[in-house]
Amino acid sequence: MTSGGRRAVTVLSGFLGSGKTTLLRRYLAGHGAGVAVIINEFGAIGVDHHLVRMVEEQSVLLQGGCVCCTRREDLVRTLRDLLDQENSGKLPPISQVVIETSGIADPVPVLFTLGTDPVLQHQFAPAAVVVTLDALNAAAQIERQPEVRKQIIAADWVVVTKTDLAPFEAVSRCRMRVRQLNPTARITVSRLGDGSDALAPTRGAVRGLPPEAPAAPHSEVQSTALGFNAPLDWPAFGVWLGMLLQARGPDVLRIKGLLDIGDAGPVVMNVAQHVVHPPEHLAAWPADADGSYLVFITRGIDPARIADSLETFQRAGGRADLSVRELA
Amino acid sequence: MCVLCSQMFTEIHWSERLLDPETVSQGAGETIRRQSRHGRTRLLGKVLAHYSLDVSDDWSAMNYVVGNRKGKQQVVGSVAELWQAAAKMAGRPLDPLDPALLQRLRTEPEA
Repeated sequence: MTSGGRRAVTVLSGFLGSGKTTLLRRYLAGHGAGVAVIINEFGAIGVDHHLVRMVEEQSVLLQGGCVCCTRREDLVRTLRDLLDQENSGKLPPISQVVIETSGIADPVPVLFTLGTDPVLQHQFAPAAVVVTLDALNAAAQIERQPEVRKQIIAADWVVVTKTDLAPFEAVSRCRMRVRQLNPTARITVSRLGDGSDALAPTRGAVRGLPPEAPAAPHSEVQSTALGFNAPLDWPAFGVWLGMLLQARGPDVLRIKGLLDIGDAGPVVMNVAQHVVHPPEHLAAWPADADGSYLVFITRGIDPARIADSLETFQRAGGRADLSVRELA
Repeated sequence: MCVLCSQMFTEIHWSERLLDPETVSQGAGETIRRQSRHGRTRLLGKVLAHYSLDVSDDWSAMNYVVGNRKGKQQVVGSVAELWQAAAKMAGRPLDPLDPALLQRLRTEPEA
């Protein structure tokens, strides 16, 4: 369970054959009680677990909506069914649901569905998007498969798999490519299916420190971490970010960070494509935090323009002394 | 929820629902909400002036009323809807990275 009593939902994504099911089996072996599993496709390895639901992806693009506004009807039905069965006592209490997507699925519609369904949004809370990446084939897949790039950008946690089969250099390159696309993601290296703790519904999505900038930026995707000299004005930030996403949504791929808005604890911001996770107000700063920051992953937008615009809106909103700087 | 296509699925926009639970339990939630609302509407007014539009709160401070100089007005329920209505009324996209808008915000005298 997450704070507020909602059931944690972990989205497990990753390209075909990247080791999703192996990781899931390991996780269930140690944490199976109270965990329901929803899978989209039967892989070569079956999942032996009493609470498995198989769904066939049924996506409905909402009228007038953009691509991320795709409602996963299959998930709505299955999650509501799980709730009904739990409430009627046919199932034991559910504390977590792991949704294993198909290899080519975009995780963002799953988050959209959880956040917008009038029943599910009060019963389930996204915990993290965990993505598996095969170290042997990562370079080619990132290059050729747009689905893989989308999965990495949406990830809170990337588990690099098959590292026992790949040379050390390939694993290092794999980490570097992930860093180029998504410097906010936590990266762990899995050997023979270990590292399944990534699926545990902890605060895996929250990082106290801004990530290091990649040594060699990706040719299409830019990322920048912004820092601030003072607390931000929250209403002005809402105006600015809403306007930015409205105007530049398709090119703002991800925003993540911790914001000091002058309260005891920070606000956790997490935006995947155009889906804004409800900002979470923490009671206190994480132990490893060193001030507030925001990371932007964008396509074709000069990071300096984002910093300048945010600073101007903050000053116009009443924070005359606030300055925004790009963190090295 | 989706700020790009403005599909509304939650009662309260993400930027408007952040309240410290402690404050709410102490009964100060409405005061804080109105204070935030006031600051938000004031900044929205400065931004929309660049596009020859204006914005105000309705009597309940729950909806925004966005209008142009020809007297056309539209009531919207959230900032997400507001951006879409304003862009339509202005006849052009509203871009926070627009250098002309930022220059205007920098030189705008405090009201």
